Parts: sequence; structure tokens; C-alpha cells
Amino acid sequence: MRIVVCVKEVLDPDAVNSFAVAGRLTIGEDGTSLTQSAIPRLMNGYDEQALEAALRLRDAGASGTIAVVSIGADPANILRHAAALGADEITHVAADPADRADRAGLDGHATAALLVAWIRSTGGADLVLCGRQASDDDQGVVPALIGEQLGVPVVTIARALALEAGGDAVRVTRVTPDGDEVVLAPLPAVVTISSELGTPRYPTAARKLQARRAKPAVVTLDALGVAAAAGAPRVRLLRQWVPALHGHCELLAGAPAEAADALVARLIQDGAI
Amino acid sequence: MAKVLVCGWDTQADGLAPGVEETLTLGRKLAAALGAELGLVVLGSAPPDAARVAGRHGASTLETLADPKLAAGGSDARVEALAQLCQAHAPRALLMPQTFDARLVAPRVAGRLGVPIVMNGIDVDVENGALRVTATAYGGDTHALYEIAGDGTALVCVSTTALRAEPAPEPRTPVVEEFPVDLRTVTERIRVLEPAKTEGPRLEEANTIVAGGRGLGAAEHFAWIEQLAEALGGMAGASRPLVDDGWVDASRQVGLTGRITRPALYIAVGISGASQHMAGCSAAKTIVAINRDADAAIFRHARYGIVGDCHEILPELIRAARAHRAGGS
Ligand SMILES: Cc1cc2nc3c(=O)[nH]c(=O)nc-3n(C[C@H](O)[C@H](O)[C@H](O)COP(=O)(O)OP(=O)(O)OC[C@H]3O[C@@H](n4cnc5c(N)ncnc54)[C@H](O)[C@@H]3O)c2cc1C
Ligand SMILES: Nc1ncnc2c1ncn2[C@@H]1O[C@H](COP(=O)(O)O)[C@@H](O)[C@H]1O
Repeated sequence: MRIVVCVKEVLDPDAVNSFAVAGRLTIGEDGTSLTQSAIPRLMNGYDEQALEAALRLRDAGASGTIAVVSIGADPANILRHAAALGADEITHVAADPADRADRAGLDGHATAALLVAWIRSTGGADLVLCGRQASDDDQGVVPALIGEQLGVPVVTIARALALEAGGDAVRVTRVTPDGDEVVLAPLPAVVTISSELGTPRYPTAARKLQARRAKPAVVTLDALGVAAAAGAPRVRLLRQWVPALHGHCELLAGAPAEAADALVARLIQDGAI
Repeated sequence: MAKVLVCGWDTQADGLAPGVEETLTLGRKLAAALGAELGLVVLGSAPPDAARVAGRHGASTLETLADPKLAAGGSDARVEALAQLCQAHAPRALLMPQTFDARLVAPRVAGRLGVPIVMNGIDVDVENGALRVTATAYGGDTHALYEIAGDGTALVCVSTTALRAEPAPEPRTPVVEEFPVDLRTVTERIRVLEPAKTEGPRLEEANTIVAGGRGLGAAEHFAWIEQLAEALGGMAGASRPLVDDGWVDASRQVGLTGRITRPALYIAVGISGASQHMAGCSAAKTIVAINRDADAAIFRHARYGIVGDCHEILPELIRAARAHRAGGS
């Protein structure tokens, strides 16, 4: 069994939120990228949970390898983190999704094409695990595009998964607006993981130390033979900005009982209750 | 004539799914900018008022795709049906409200046809003949303007909560036809072992929501949220950390990756107001914030606010709400 986990490096969304709340989130001269160099870069939260899902499958008895792959400018840190957590292989596909220069930027299709080319070049995958969406662009399209390009089923927003006894199918619990749904997908398949999977494990100190020396295998676009396909993104980010928020909040002061009564009075007056 | 299609399916027995009208409004804007024709497409049999709604929003066609395999709701059938529709009409754009199912189906259609896709769209436009989509990013902390190259079909999923449906100045009577979809080769690869079963009303349909966040401090304090919700005849919601920590069920989570709600009244208690949370409630008509940090982001979205400790304020608010209810006014 070969499990591939796709991980993306993103700006820490909590830090981005903090900058936004403080009114200090700004866009650089290129008009597209966030300028805050103080914001740490880390593994997309859902991708960390996708890796956790893979590790849980292994804990549950799945044999084989867990291969973690990332396309990015320099995702060595998050790949080392994956190694410390127990990934057997870590691979860096050298292309920068955030590079806005016309030829190098990647849209969802190009990202998926590179991941698929890499997966094929390594003998394929029985299970591809992704995050439900990347917390920077929030698009959530790459996994479905991978699935279509590979011609395999896609199951989204999983909170739990288990391999069937024969190893030829995966049982997935999905978080739907109508509650949990349990489905059976034949392998190979793509599954996206949601936060409901639960908190991912931490690496032990010893493994962290060990992983510090781990070097991701670096794969170039030329080696994948897809340079041309990845060259011209059809969805191109032209501009990014921080939307203005004009609040007009009326604060209700006084002791708790007073404030509560005042609020209820306002809501009655407005016809809200 | 070039076409802009709007597609919906999660149809309810008594009408079109929420978000379809808002999406039609964007579709009409795009069609006008392109000099194209607007059409509504319904997967499955259209509800009785579909033609009227389509006409009110200026659509010149209403197409239905009826096949028993679509009624079953599997994504393989939906993807194949929409792919056939796009191949037959070559629309310049196919827009759909970003429902739970659309989040899977739309990118798969894009993958199958090899056409561009943008999710979380909030606006569409045309510049020098190129399609441009404004979408939210970083949960809404930023807005992003994407340009779509080429003049082939593009898919856009529309995040409809912040949009307003505006009927066309001149209603039309759409031509109603059935699109001859052929799903003979489709066999759903994914088998549903246990279907989801909705228990009770859904947050999406609640008129009043009282939501609790990490500021509640302890799982047992969520009882206050439930009591206040009950006193106001509403439902209880939560921010993600409460779901992550197992205090409440995932069905309570409001936000970008939870429920997208649109109540008349939303009371946020001990919630900081992170963009990802607000993505699920900012369309509320009135937002009330209770937070002990006067600088919390939530106050920027709120109409009314109380700065203070929710442990002191909630019991008083429950009392006042119950008194109002008992008063029968
Ligand atoms: C990709 C992505 C998707 C996400 N999706 C969602 C989503 O769908 N829904 C969601 O909610 N979040 C989501 N999040 C998380 C989101 O970014 C925030 O982390 C989360 O909403 C914070 O929850 P909170 O406001 O309850 O907690 P906190 O941010 O910790 O805020 C707690 C608040 O309580 C106040 N407080 C503390 N004690 C008291 C007291 N005694 N009385 C009154 N006030 C008090 C504090 O001042 C603070 O403002 C997502 C994040 C990412 C990266
Ligand atoms: N650059 C990347 N490298 C590896 N995996 C990625 C990359 N971009 C997206 N993915 C995967 O696809 C998921 C959805 O990403 P997106 O469609 O960009 O929101 C992520 O959670 C990752 O699992």
C-alpha cells in the first residue's frame, strides 16, 4: 500500500487573522502578496491532519509507505516535520505556486498536473490524501482535479477512514450538512480530510532531532516532463487586497443586568425578537 | 449567442435551493457584460416555480436534466451530466451556488473538461474580453481578483451569503426544455453505506442563532448558549474550537468550513470574530457581540455589543429574554 499525502506550505492563518484584526495586514508592491515577513510559514492545517489520517491507517495495521509531497518555493521545513511525524519519504517538487511571474505561477490545474505527474513517476498511489482546502487561497480544488486526472474517485471532507480487509477499498466517514455519512470507495482514490478528524500528533523529541537531518528528494519540473503544462496558469491572481470594514456597533454599558435589559429592549424595538 | 449558465440542484420540494437567485443575479451581470444569454439549469426535475424564478432574473432558458441516476444524488452522475451540458452548449461561464455538494462536483467537472475554476466567488466581471472573478481568500481577511485566460468555459462557485438577489428590470418568459443527458455509462463508484440523517432543524434555516466560542471557558457553559437560544426561539451554534475540543457536535460549527448561516439575529458570545468564523454569519441582519475584549474583531461586525464577562452577562440575558417571552410581546 502506497499512501501519498499532499501538503502545502501556507502563512500561519492565525497570525494572518491577528494582523488583519490589528489593521496591519498589507499587500506588497506587486499588488498580490501579503507583505508580513513576521508571519510564520507552516504546513496547511488540514494537510497536517491528512498526514495524521495516514499515520492512523498505519497504526491500524496498514503496511507500505507513506510518501509526503509538496510543491513550493522551499517547503523543506514542513517536509522535515512530516518526516519527524513518521513519513517514509519526503519530496519537494520544485515550483512556486505563489510565484506571480507569468511562466512560473501555478493554478489549481497546474498544481494537480504536477502532483499527478509525480505520483505516476513514482509508481502510482493506492490512496492520495489531501487537506480539504488550503488556508491561504481557500480554493479546495486541487484534490478533485487530481482525482479526475488520475481517473479515480474523490471523497471529500472526511473525519475518519479505515481500510477494508482486502485492502482494495476505503471506508470514509464524511461530515455533511445533514450529519455524518459513511461511504465505501474502491482504491485507488483521493480523500480530503477536514478538521473534524481531530488534533494531529506531535513528533517526539528524538524523532524531531533525527528529522533535522532529513533531506527532501527534490524533483524538478524538467524531470517530470511537464514544464510546458505548468507554464501558463489560466487562473491568474491579478490583485489581492484587504477589504475595508465599516463597523457601527452600539455598545451597551452598565452592570450585567442593565446591559442585558438594554440589549433586549433594543432587539424588541428593532423587531429582531 | 454566447451563454452564461447558472446551475442548481439541491432543490427543495417547494422551491429552488437557497443561493440560486443570488447566483442568477451575478450571472445576469456577467451575461450583460459579455452580451450573452442567461440560462438556468436544474439537475433533476425542476420545482414548480423554477420557470418563474428564472424569468424574474432575466434567464431566457430553463433547462432540466432529468435522469433517475441524478435523483440518487451521486457525484459521478452529476459530474458527467454537467460535463455533457458544457460540451453541448460551450457556455462562457457556468456558475453555481457553493453548496456542500458543489464543492466536490464543480472542481471535478473542471477537471474532467480541463477548464478553469474559481471557488468562493463574490463578484464577476469582464475586462478586455477576459473573465474576472473576485473571491475571498484567507477566510475573508483578503479579497482576490482572478483573471481567467482564454475564451472557453470557466466554472465559478459563488459564495452567496453576502450577495443580494435582485430581479431583472424586465422579467422574461424562459423557454423550458429538457436537456437530453445520457448517463447510461455512469455507475457510481462510491457506495453510500450509511446515509446522513438530519436530526432536527438546521442552522442554515434558523432565524435566530446564539453561538458560543472559546470565551465560554468550559464545556458545561455551553448550556447557557442553549438556554438563551431556547428563550429566543432560536438555535445554538459554535465556533470551531468548541467542535475541535469535542464540546459540541460538528453540525453546530458556524463558519467558512462549517455552516453558512443567514439568520435575522446572530448573538456571538465569547467569539473573537476571526474571518473564517464571520464567513458563516456575516450575512446576519443583526449581529450582537458579547466579549470581554473591547478590541475583539467581532465588534466591527456587530450592531450591538456588550463588553464584559459572558459568565456574568449570559445569566442576565437569559433572564431578560425569558421575561420578554413570558410577556408574550
Ligand atoms: C482554513 C480555516 C478554516 C476555519 N474554519 C472555521 C469555521 O468554519 N468556523 C470557525 O468558527 N472557525 C474557523 N476557523 C478558526 C478561526 O480562524 C478561529 O481560530 C476561531 O473562529 C476562533 O474561535 P473563537 O472565537 O471561539 O476563539 P478565540 O479566537 O480564542 O476567541 C475567544 C474570544 O472570547 C473572548 N473571551 C474570553 N473569555 C471571555 C469571557 N469570560 N467573557 C466574554 N468573552 C471572553 C476573548 O476576548 C476572545 O475574543 C478556521 C480556521 C482556518 C485556518
Ligand atoms: N502546492 C501544493 N503542494 C502539495 N499539495 C498541495 C499544494 N496545493 C494544494 N495541495 C493539496 O490540495 C489541497 C487543497 O488545496 P487548494 O485546492 O489549493 O485549496 C491542500 O490541502 C493540499 O493537500
